[in-house]
Amino acid sequence: MKAPSSPLVDASRRAFLRGVPALTAAAAVAPTPALANDGKHQWAMLVDVRKCIGCQACTVSCIQENIVPEGSFRTVVSTYSVKLTDSDQPAGTYVLPRLCNHCDNPPCIPVCPVSATYKREDGIVAVDGDRCVGCAYCVQACPYDARFINHETNKADKCTFCAHRVDAGLLPACVETCVGGARIFGDINDPNGELSRRLKEAQPELKVLKPELETAPRVFYIGLDERFTGKVEGEGTLWKPRNLHSSAHG
Amino acid sequence: MNPNIVETINVAREVAWLPWAVQYFFLIGLSYGAWLLSLPGIVFRRPGWAGISRLALLGALVCGLAAPVALLADLHQPGRFWHFYAYFTPSSWMSWGAFFIPVYLGGLLMYAWLAFRPDLARHAASGGKLAKLAGLLAYGGHESRGALKAAALLAFVGAALVALYTGAELAVVQARPLWNTPLLPLQFAITAFAGAVGLVLLFNRCSVRDEAANRRLAKVLAVTQVAALVVGALWIALGLSGLFPVHAQALAEVGPSANWQLAAVWAVSATVLTLLLAWKRPGSGLLIGLLALHSAWMMRWSIFIGGQEVPKTGAGYYTYSLPLGPEGLMGIIGTAGLWVFLFVLITTLLPLDRLAAGSTDKAAA
Repeated sequence: MKAPSSPLVDASRRAFLRGVPALTAAAAVAPTPALANDGKHQWAMLVDVRKCIGCQACTVSCIQENIVPEGSFRTVVSTYSVKLTDSDQPAGTYVLPRLCNHCDNPPCIPVCPVSATYKREDGIVAVDGDRCVGCAYCVQACPYDARFINHETNKADKCTFCAHRVDAGLLPACVETCVGGARIFGDINDPNGELSRRLKEAQPELKVLKPELETAPRVFYIGLDERFTGKVEGEGTLWKPRNLHSSAHG
Repeated sequence: MNPNIVETINVAREVAWLPWAVQYFFLIGLSYGAWLLSLPGIVFRRPGWAGISRLALLGALVCGLAAPVALLADLHQPGRFWHFYAYFTPSSWMSWGAFFIPVYLGGLLMYAWLAFRPDLARHAASGGKLAKLAGLLAYGGHESRGALKAAALLAFVGAALVALYTGAELAVVQARPLWNTPLLPLQFAITAFAGAVGLVLLFNRCSVRDEAANRRLAKVLAVTQVAALVVGALWIALGLSGLFPVHAQALAEVGPSANWQLAAVWAVSATVLTLLLAWKRPGSGLLIGLLALHSAWMMRWSIFIGGQEVPKTGAGYYTYSLPLGPEGLMGIIGTAGLWVFLFVLITTLLPLDRLAAGSTDKAAA
């Protein structure tokens, strides 16, 4: 037989349930450095390689969030086996999260023949899908292999820093899901923000990929090994994603 | 290659400029190269060049009309080609190219029409196949030298701009050291011209088999092969000497690859063989013609497809296998089919033998 519920318990449960939306909203907003785009922000990312565990949670969440077709990737954690000379272990693992660098001097923009690729006021390099002709010139011009042709849309595709989430005051999906807290996203124009603070602290060891190309990336790295800043000299990848597009047509 | 680093997980980016692009650059190169060969006989009326130049103009026309179709097919959104004209972007060579192509093709069509008008009228009068159409196109069949020279000037401007943009489009891509060299536009132009000479040699062989024309073309072809070897040697010398860091970087990227080593040996051997045959046995028109065409195509295949097999950040190389569908083999065969269709159509109106005979009197006989 069910015991009658106490009016006190009921009242507190009701109060609790009434408070849930407020708590949820607070949880979503409070720790988030991203706010609705008012044109003053300059979004950037700091990747602390030392904290990355190579779990590819970022890779998976990006695919889920952005409906990236199978076999294509907007971000991935490149993983390398590196022979060790100063250890009892024969080899160690080096991981390097890669994504669009949202360069301040992006080589993909001037080559686009229809001005479909552009830099938003908040620093995000974006593609106007209504204008893109799928010529793939930007794919060739990106020095980071960050772009590809999406075979479902037949347009140029790339990481957008999850602009749709950022505009709504949320963090990019890869940052949200990073297990080790290796990806820090924020506004470099906000001197009190976590990103600015972390960038300042890490200043002496801060690096970017391919600095010699002077693309001024907005993705910064801590713990980036010199051997991995450009095209990696090593044995080619052992695992490749199945290319559904080729096999479907081939 | 550093054996101490093994890439275990990375993204393999697929080729984004497809074999359609190779076909476009091959055909448009043959077209402007053949158009240049049409000048001595048609515009400058150099003795002994009439047949060569008329065959060359046929080649320029067939290749020039087929090329833009291949280019359109390489777009992943071909229905949006009009965006090129609606959203002109001066910082992009491709955007300029969209305007240069119509200038060249407009000039070429005008020039070809003015050059072939009397032949079209003759075909209409002879009552051959599509005689009515030939008569309509001839529009009186008059020869107008002034207009021909004006059209030649327009086509020259267009051809020069097309040669410039097709080379520069790749040469500006810093992300690919193999493409990022000022020598690439020159290499494209030389091999395009050599391929055009090869095409005319083939046309000559398939029509009147004019030995004098064959020898003359073989001589020109030999010069192009020397030029190709000199520029190739300069490219390697600049890379090895370190004077041009981007060449050194390109060499370092492709040097260790067995595929690239084979491609380099193949290219040099084919060029040397063509040179020796053209020089020592100028009568081997069919063989040297095919060799020159093959070299022009292979060069573009290696640069485009091979170039995209070099990862920009990852280790090793991406592997490309030719798909059998429209984005691969069918694209190549389809472009070739279009070329054959245009060739049959145009040579029905302008029979090959009549063009190759050079002078209209000879053709009439």
